[in-house]
Amino acid sequence: MSDEHPAGGEEEFREEEASLVRITLGPVVWMAHFIVSYAATAVVCAKLSTDELVWLRMGIAAATLLALGTIAWLGRRSWRQWRHGNEDIWEDPAATSEDRHQFLGHAALLLAVISFIGVIYTALPALFAATCR
Amino acid sequence: MTTADPPRLGSAPADLYEAPAPSGPYPPTEEMLAEPVKPKLRGAQEDRLRKVWEGPKGWRILSDVNNQTVGVWYSATCFAFMLGAGVLALLMRVQLAVPDNDFLSAGTYNQFYTMHGSAMMFLFAVPMFEAVSILLLPAFLSARDLPFPRLSAFGYWSFLVGGVFVLGSILFGVGPQSGWFMYPPVSMQEEGMGPDIWLLGLSFIEVASIAAAVELIVGVLKCRPPGMRVNLMPLYAWYVLVVGGMILFAFPPLIAGDFLFELERALGWPFFNPEKGGDPLLWQHLFWIFGHPEVYIIFLPSIALTAMVVPTFARHPIVGYSWIVLSAVGTGFLSFGLWVHHMFATGLPTMSLGFFSAASEAVVIPTGIQLFAFVATLMVGRVKMGLPMLWIAGSLAIFTAGGLTGVMVAVAPFDWVVHDTYFVVAHLHYTLFGGFVFPVIAGVYYFAPVVTGKMLSERLGRWAFWLSFAGFNITFLPMHLTGLVGMPRRVFTYPGGLGWDWLNMLSTVGAFVIAAGFAVLAWDLIRPKSKEPKAPRNPWEAGTLEWSADPDESWGARSVPYVTSRYPLWDQDEFVERANAGQGYIPDAPEMRRETLITSVIDARPIQVLRVAEPTWITLVAAFFTAGAFILPVFHLYTLAGVSGALAIATVVVWLYRSARDHPEAETKDAGLGLRLPLYVSGPAAVGWWGMWITMLGDSTAFASLVFGVFFYWTARPDFPPEGAVHADLPLALASLALIAVAWALTLGARMLNTRGRPWLATLCHAIGPVLTLAGGAALVLAVRDLDPTTHVYPAIMWALVVWTTAHLGVGVLMQLFCLFGLLTADFGPRHDAPLWNVALFWHFLGLTALVTVACVALLPRLL
Repeated sequence: MSDEHPAGGEEEFREEEASLVRITLGPVVWMAHFIVSYAATAVVCAKLSTDELVWLRMGIAAATLLALGTIAWLGRRSWRQWRHGNEDIWEDPAATSEDRHQFLGHAALLLAVISFIGVIYTALPALFAATCR
Repeated sequence: MTTADPPRLGSAPADLYEAPAPSGPYPPTEEMLAEPVKPKLRGAQEDRLRKVWEGPKGWRILSDVNNQTVGVWYSATCFAFMLGAGVLALLMRVQLAVPDNDFLSAGTYNQFYTMHGSAMMFLFAVPMFEAVSILLLPAFLSARDLPFPRLSAFGYWSFLVGGVFVLGSILFGVGPQSGWFMYPPVSMQEEGMGPDIWLLGLSFIEVASIAAAVELIVGVLKCRPPGMRVNLMPLYAWYVLVVGGMILFAFPPLIAGDFLFELERALGWPFFNPEKGGDPLLWQHLFWIFGHPEVYIIFLPSIALTAMVVPTFARHPIVGYSWIVLSAVGTGFLSFGLWVHHMFATGLPTMSLGFFSAASEAVVIPTGIQLFAFVATLMVGRVKMGLPMLWIAGSLAIFTAGGLTGVMVAVAPFDWVVHDTYFVVAHLHYTLFGGFVFPVIAGVYYFAPVVTGKMLSERLGRWAFWLSFAGFNITFLPMHLTGLVGMPRRVFTYPGGLGWDWLNMLSTVGAFVIAAGFAVLAWDLIRPKSKEPKAPRNPWEAGTLEWSADPDESWGARSVPYVTSRYPLWDQDEFVERANAGQGYIPDAPEMRRETLITSVIDARPIQVLRVAEPTWITLVAAFFTAGAFILPVFHLYTLAGVSGALAIATVVVWLYRSARDHPEAETKDAGLGLRLPLYVSGPAAVGWWGMWITMLGDSTAFASLVFGVFFYWTARPDFPPEGAVHADLPLALASLALIAVAWALTLGARMLNTRGRPWLATLCHAIGPVLTLAGGAALVLAVRDLDPTTHVYPAIMWALVVWTTAHLGVGVLMQLFCLFGLLTADFGPRHDAPLWNVALFWHFLGLTALVTVACVALLPRLL
């Protein structure tokens, strides 16, 4: 059984113990953004006056930009992991370390995309429905 | 590189006491895999394996722990509970058939709808996932068994006893009446033992679910066949991994909620009582942080069955494997951001509702992607129709309809219109029938030959399908309208002339048609089949591993194959023949012990031959005593419950100690194909360490839910903490933390000193540790002695944190003593140090729990 990929790229042969966790980083950023937005809104609406809403919305906007930037960076890294040395193949079903490496890149990329959309969705109420009532 | 020597595994151990590394050629070459086994040897191997894996006979079968036996019991029990809960639904439909009916009294009706929902969720939907996975996951992975067979058996017996107790209460007319979500304040005001039965019985079953999740996650990560890298796993394994993770984060908040709820009911600590600073909304939060992910915990495993069935009938590998992995993982995450959509009508700030509405819409994307992947697979494949595919087609149609109404109710203003009406009843039944019931039945028809060796009836299966499909739509499609014209849920009767009469009659008729369909299905399952011919080995011509095993043999896999494809039966030469001729790994059992192969997490390189448990009664005894600890408090028999709980702990300690001292007779053994693998490993290489890690993740989630409660009260209540409240004693709390920190350091030090060959120093550490732990626990309790938990929610929640932590310190002491005993008897030592690793891991979590508790109890209130 050969460990060489037909396309020739040989990025990573050692086991990526961390990479099962790495594919979830995009959703983890989504979750962090979600919790921060929810908790900040709960505290502002319960403990502070509605005059502070503008600060809350600015804060959520900043958190959103930070989250989107992080996810975009993760997505770009995953894109490289998936495509580099693999330009002509779109599925990774072979039994090589290289294919496993690229598969994990692909899964991480797709999860980054869905997390990106999720973060935008979460930011929308702060844009359109900013009231404590 | 096909003819040259294969690469070899193996390096010298880093130190004297480390397990020997695997050695020998890996991966195997084609020549090695093609090497035949001599017929005489093959016969001898089969005799030995058959004898080793033979289940106990007669009534002793109750002591069996093998996944094939326990899985069948588990599934059959779930099915029986489902039929019971279904009968309750029929009786409710009879009551609602005509206006002003007096077939059922209001109280009985309340018990029935509460029990229908609770049983369908807790006794059918979630355990069915565990049952099917325990039964089939090893087959999907060509494993002989799961890593902790006794844990599966313990979970099953707990589930059986708890389920009979909860469901049985209805026969005595003492069932809970406050709905399957048991909202306070109504559930607090409910007389009798109904809510206690619900809480304690279901807590018990939740513990069984978490046990199953631990078992299944470790199974997927460590029990795959060599070569099955993460990009080759059957999709079912991906879903099990995601769902197991979700159970770990979703069930503990409910356990924390149950803990608070029972403290309020039994001791009057006012967590949900607004007159004393409590808030019933906290229960809703904790319930739905569990409750919404639970919907996906039910849905994903069923869609995973679909992912196994569709490629077979499309005769084409799944299209978009990584896209389905995306949707499983993505749904798993997003489903935790949806819980407040069950609470849209509670008056939370609009902006907060918006976040949950947004996440509820976002989760549609990954959910939809997997359905499109299935459709794409069917489009590119050469589809042959079959009975399982018929059920799958029905499920996709129904689920899509349920998903679309889900998009509607995720919009808060629309939800306000239909909140608490039959529209929601229709929606949830569409998602659960389409997303769970139908795929599971498809799985029953599809996998029956794997489990029993016999096909189910094609004709009866078609009858069952069309009756239940038609009946389902007759019952639930009109309910959308019933809800839109205003009929509320959970009313036991209604006046005529509101336009609800004919709709209800129609739904009742449909309900009986569904029942007819299930009766046909039940008959097909239980009818005697001894005269029927044996099913062919792979009747659907599938490509996945479960079809390579012989269902008549209890050994699971004859030998563990080397896998290089997602569909090895389609792609690998002579795959089934070789595996069944013993041309794979561990083809023999010369030591007459049950064994399975453990591989690495990412690339499934073989790393250990694991000895797995043989039949034993101890699981049954432990489950019996655990049941006593949960069930006796319902009848206020607290002393007996305490005795039962102590006996349960003692039984579990004996069970664990007996395993911990059972050292293999050799360091390594021949695992076949030239490979030598270690038999005893410890630390992160061992499955037990992974089991502990995963369990503690769930445990920490429950603790985090209690901490969430503290912050919730702070935001939701103006008087938290109340003016002039007595705070915990700061110096004592800090002293407690210091004592626990030293005990933690001693536990960690014991493990490290022992590994370096100084077991006597480790013994000393474990002799001092328990004393410090007990002193730390005592100091923590003394620190809150002046707080009266019955007066206000502030002292109550502080006490709840202390009770939680003290209970865990108790477990920590037991573990230290466990190690001390093992070290003194020399059952544990520098080479056999797995228990010390696992205990140190527990203590990392315990140290963190103590730190957070002291911060929340003694420091935080002074700052708020």
